[in-house]
Amino acid sequence: MDRLPRGRHGLSPEYVARNQRERLIAGLTEVLYERGYQDTTVSLIGQRAAVSKSDFYKHFESKDDCFFAAYEAAIERLRHDVLQSCAEHREDPWPPRVRDALEVLLRTLAEDPALASISLVEGLRAGRGVYDRYQAAVESFVTYLREGAPGAPGGGEVPEATDEAVVGGIASLLGRRVLAGEAQQIDELLPEVLEFALTPYLGTAEARRIVSDG
Amino acid sequence: MTPSRPELPKEFVAGHKRRRMTDAMASLSAERGYEATKIADVVRRAGVARKTLYDNFDGKEDLFLAALTSFFEDVEEAVEGACAEAGGLWGERVEAGLSAFLRVVAERPHAAQMSMVESLSATPSASARHDAAVRGFVALLDRTTPDDERLPDTLEESLVGGVVWVVSQQIRRGDAAQAASLLPELSEFVLSPYHGVAEVGSNPGRESDSTVADFNA
Repeated sequence: MDRLPRGRHGLSPEYVARNQRERLIAGLTEVLYERGYQDTTVSLIGQRAAVSKSDFYKHFESKDDCFFAAYEAAIERLRHDVLQSCAEHREDPWPPRVRDALEVLLRTLAEDPALASISLVEGLRAGRGVYDRYQAAVESFVTYLREGAPGAPGGGEVPEATDEAVVGGIASLLGRRVLAGEAQQIDELLPEVLEFALTPYLGTAEARRIVSDG
Repeated sequence: MTPSRPELPKEFVAGHKRRRMTDAMASLSAERGYEATKIADVVRRAGVARKTLYDNFDGKEDLFLAALTSFFEDVEEAVEGACAEAGGLWGERVEAGLSAFLRVVAERPHAAQMSMVESLSATPSASARHDAAVRGFVALLDRTTPDDERLPDTLEESLVGGVVWVVSQQIRRGDAAQAASLLPELSEFVLSPYHGVAEVGSNPGRESDSTVADFNA
């Protein structure tokens, strides 16, 4: 996030305020990735964002308040990328649509480890208020997966718990990779994650065929 | 010391008191969260002296970690026992292990909530304890299911992560006592990826009530 020019710049106060707020959110996300939640302080966030402590408190009541905003922004970015991919491939059959959405998701996470960390690890660990948001985020991705999904390979509906387990399982696997410091290699997991996601709906053989077709 | 007063009862009483304190920690942290749980409340609920608590534990976090460990040990013991006792077919062992896990969750809903939900955000040591338990389940599932190079290396991690997520959601909704109702869906979820690379195997005597058998049908 670029700093604004010093002195008179002719930018509207609204613009300056929005830019500061975005810088603080980006600052928290970076410091959090480097130091973890406990050691992320308002001073460090301010330093990183080049925003004074008193300006910090014009935007946020507390570190937690800033954290919630940063968490929402992270999830919103992931959601935006995934939804855009889904919209672009609206006409495609379900399996390649899932593949494209997962590919976009994994690439976005791999390119920005700090984003991966706040959305997949810290969102579970930073207290009760965030856990609810983490849950809501997982649920929203369940909705995307379910849309257009076929029935179970042996006939009948795939149970709802399965949709949840697929999305929760992917989130858990990716979170563990981030914790292990492997966020940047997350996109290499695409074939495995895709096979895992498709198997309950298509069966192992068909899931594997789609994965190997690339 | 006279031979007629062996040490066992004293140890028994001490163990019982420890359990009362870890149980009190479990129910309080499930109700209010770890942060809001105070040692004074634990002491009151457990019906022990404050000194007794500090004789046994260094403080709140130490007690919380002991309570978590007690739950995860119960789960590990139940799951490994059920796997070992189940038939020779790996599908049956997986289902028996899963069933045992759900049973412990249903029997100890507060401890389950503390261990599977509250632990994540309580302290770094607590979330590490949760991670260690998950890693243990991943290793057990890996040992129990057939090896096949065509299966993704990360499959067991994803499956255990999915199961833990669904069970955590059930707990958060306040439905831990009905956790066993998840067994058919979760069994199918865990077993289905192995279908096609290995025979799950069926036990003719249990076809009507076994999801392993349903799955194989």
